[in-house]
Amino acid sequence: MALINIASHEIHCKIVYYGIGYCGKTTNLQYVHKSITPNARGDMLSIATETERTLFFDFLPLDLGTVHGFRTRFHLYTVPGQILYERTRLAVLNGADGIVFVVDSQAEKFEENVQSIAELDMHMRRIGKDMNTFPIILQWNKRDMPNVLPVPVLERYLNRRRVPSFEAVASAGKGVFATLRAISKSVIAQL
Amino acid sequence: MPGLYTGGAVSMEQLTNLVISDRDLTIISSVLMRLMNDTNATSIMLIDKSGQVVAVQGSSTRRNATTLGALLAGVFSSSREVAKLLDEKDFRNIFQQGLQQNIYTSMVEEQWLLVIIFDRSTHIGLVKVLSKKASDELGRILERVRNDTTRAKSSVLNLQFRSSVEDTIDLLFRD
Repeated sequence: MALINIASHEIHCKIVYYGIGYCGKTTNLQYVHKSITPNARGDMLSIATETERTLFFDFLPLDLGTVHGFRTRFHLYTVPGQILYERTRLAVLNGADGIVFVVDSQAEKFEENVQSIAELDMHMRRIGKDMNTFPIILQWNKRDMPNVLPVPVLERYLNRRRVPSFEAVASAGKGVFATLRAISKSVIAQL
Repeated sequence: MPGLYTGGAVSMEQLTNLVISDRDLTIISSVLMRLMNDTNATSIMLIDKSGQVVAVQGSSTRRNATTLGALLAGVFSSSREVAKLLDEKDFRNIFQQGLQQNIYTSMVEEQWLLVIIFDRSTHIGLVKVLSKKASDELGRILERVRNDTTRAKSSVLNLQFRSSVEDTIDLLFRD
């Protein structure tokens, strides 16, 4: 839910990074946190297990500064990717204004990706959001791995709605900001 | 997006936007301020279930308000899922007890959370009773805010604003 506070001249939007375990959601946020100009970022918060798997969510507030008298902020969240945490993903998804679905491009992860996107579809229906109009961007991550599926194959089976998509190597920062720019603009356009 | 709701399942419908005007915030803040004074609480927050902070009273939390909002909404969402596993509709209130500080969170109209942070000088019973009264009052105010949202929004989110935000996004979100 975007919060437009006319009194305090602030606009807040929530963007959720969704996808299977180890697909690179947290890595996306870490790269943004590391690379963005310091005065545009808040502290990054991670609720992770001892082995650094995301347990609940990561949270990174970004501040665009004042635009036309309004301080505009994007709050980036990740969900925990492990299958076990479905209910937690639903909890984090609550009130999202936009979603980045991060796909692990490796062939052996294909089935898991398909299941995860079906799960997202189901959750969105349950919270009454129409996936045909809701801001969503796909990211084909891990393009540097040796066993990746070709992008046209991923597009055909995972991007049936033909939403904008970006190739990425999040660990090296490739495609991270292109994805973030696209989802941010899409969210603003839907406000 | 024209409506407040985007349709779909009735029980879990979510707000698309909430627009808080000067007047709304003044009224909400005065309710929070009164609650803070009457309970002698350290600070009080009104947040949306998705973690967005609507209003804050009390200087100690203002600095961390954004992060607190995200975490407290997370705690509440998590407890809601626990409730479901126990075939309980909801836990409407959560009490977190520390050595010095305590937090009492209660749901307002299924969409918002009223968070009261207080120390040992305040009794939990007082917090419970007065927060219930304040919740009812806030519920009525927020319902009205929700109904005004569509109209108020168009005055802010004009074409000029949107294109300036896009320019800023291009400027900041890059390597």
